[in-house]
Amino acid sequence: MATLRLDGLKKTYPNGFVALHGLDLEIADGELLVVVGPSGCGKSTLLRMLAGLEDITAGDLYIGEARVNPLEPADRDIAMVFQNYALYPHMSVAGNMEYALKNRGVPKEARRRKVEETASLIGLQDLLDRRPRQLSGGQRQRVAMGRAIVREPQVFLFDEPLSNLDAKLRVQMRLEIRRLQKRLGVTSVYVTHDQVEAMTLADRLIVMNEGRIEQLGSPMTLYDQPASTFVAGFIGSPAMNFLSAEASGRTLSLPCGNQLHAPVDAHGHVTLGIRPEHLVPVEESDDALAVQVELVEPLGADTLAYVQLDGQAEPLVVRFDGARRLEEGDRLWLAPDLERLHLFDPEQGQRLTTTEAITTP
Amino acid sequence: MRYRRRGLDITSHTLLILCVIVFFLPVWMAIVAATHTQSSLYTGVAPFWFGSEGFGNFLAVLSDPVGRLGTDATRLLVNSTIMALGIAVGKITIAILAAYAIVFFRFPFRMLCFWAIFITLMLPVEVRIMPTYKVVAGLGMLNSYTGLILPLIASATATFLFRQFYLTVPPELLEAARVDGAGPWRFLRDILLPLSKTNIAALFVIMFLYGWNQYLWPLLITTESDYMTVVISLKRMLTSADNLVPWHTVTATALLAMLPPVIVIVLMQRYFVKGLVDTEK
Repeated sequence: MATLRLDGLKKTYPNGFVALHGLDLEIADGELLVVVGPSGCGKSTLLRMLAGLEDITAGDLYIGEARVNPLEPADRDIAMVFQNYALYPHMSVAGNMEYALKNRGVPKEARRRKVEETASLIGLQDLLDRRPRQLSGGQRQRVAMGRAIVREPQVFLFDEPLSNLDAKLRVQMRLEIRRLQKRLGVTSVYVTHDQVEAMTLADRLIVMNEGRIEQLGSPMTLYDQPASTFVAGFIGSPAMNFLSAEASGRTLSLPCGNQLHAPVDAHGHVTLGIRPEHLVPVEESDDALAVQVELVEPLGADTLAYVQLDGQAEPLVVRFDGARRLEEGDRLWLAPDLERLHLFDPEQGQRLTTTEAITTP
Repeated sequence: MRYRRRGLDITSHTLLILCVIVFFLPVWMAIVAATHTQSSLYTGVAPFWFGSEGFGNFLAVLSDPVGRLGTDATRLLVNSTIMALGIAVGKITIAILAAYAIVFFRFPFRMLCFWAIFITLMLPVEVRIMPTYKVVAGLGMLNSYTGLILPLIASATATFLFRQFYLTVPPELLEAARVDGAGPWRFLRDILLPLSKTNIAALFVIMFLYGWNQYLWPLLITTESDYMTVVISLKRMLTSADNLVPWHTVTATALLAMLPPVIVIVLMQRYFVKGLVDTEK
């Protein structure tokens, strides 16, 4: 078990592309940190640098007390679970799991015991003689996990381990990973592009964008107080609605003519963010937003509706209770939850907080 | 889509049977001739049925010096086998290592190396025979197994085949192995070689036949009968200037010369087809 410390970690590729712009980060012992972001944001590069599969251009990486920059992957005492599992196709499940131990010179008897112990922990005991080819996707995923666990590493690295599974299995494995990680108490870094996975697994969450940390915090902090439009749009599904508005002190004027009470002082153009679940249907009134339903997506428990608001090019997404019957073309009145409005700088995208006042006219 | 029509079935079977007969007839003639005495072969009509000698001719060529070659067929077969095995094993070993270096290591002029290997496809032994002979002679390797094998051992084809195969190996496999503590040699031995089993088998068959059938090169650098290969001996036996051609021994030796390649193909054909058609992944 160990902490993981990144000190100005930077990656520049030979062609001059900067994949990571100097990351500072400390991951506590036993913590599960999830790194989430769109493809190309540098999250996989980060993970591969932690693993030692990519060189570190600048900065220092510490696992526990030791600076591991110059160490080979095998000497860093980490284990990695790959997206496509990367199981050795010609080896049995047991062979796959014990390969690392074998390379370390662990005697045969000890290896066998360790493999069996791990196999029963993750329910693989009956499959030890099978080849990866003879296993289902979920079982392969388990073997990849087992291969990581059997070595008792200081740090687990997960590289989108669930993205090759079908939806049902993904939910199941997600729970299992969470349970195993808590039980084993191994410091873990988990990379994914799936925000649901990120929210459910993480102790802390990093949203990355273009090689920078956009925001770091607990999943609910990121949901409740997204630091930028990027984070706000990335966390939460369906994504947050953005409207342009004119602010004057605590009053927001929308292009449709409505006025709302703003949570913070602001002046001039602002971007207003409202989550789909924070738009509540109300009786017809002058204060409410009058909208027309464009498209309905019933999900069972919830019903999503895409609604058209005057003066707004993009339709808004609204989450209704599943029991509510909606038809395309219905006219509705919505009231936003005023406590949960988010204001952002329209150019930079940063969140406007009470202490800041916007200067643009 | 497959056609199932009676007329078509009969036609195609007839055609196939005819082809088998056409191809098998010379072999049959050889088998029959090898069981006759020399005199019974020179009666004017080629025999179509076994003669009186049985396996006698085979045993004779294996134990006694054949014709005026000064060596028996056992020696010839051993020489051919050593050369063919040496060439096959050597080619595969070198090709595996070369392809491994080209695909999995980043070093300066990597592509140049690859193309340098690749253009040797245009330089088979026949083209470079004079300089190669000069070098081998200069190194004192005339009349030696090394001289027979070494100049034929580099293979662009095999290197290319392994390169193409290695390129299809997912890079994560290498990364997983690195995380698991496998260095370059371990990765080659534990992961890559087992995965290329079928490719190796297919190449082995092709290269063994290539080595076995070599004619020009062994003809050039072996003058002592101790190093003569069976393919060359056959030609020698036919050019016995003033004597009658001893067809009974020639056919017996020819049949013996056919055996090792047949055995190799029969034993390896399952892998051979697999290796050319798909890979174990």
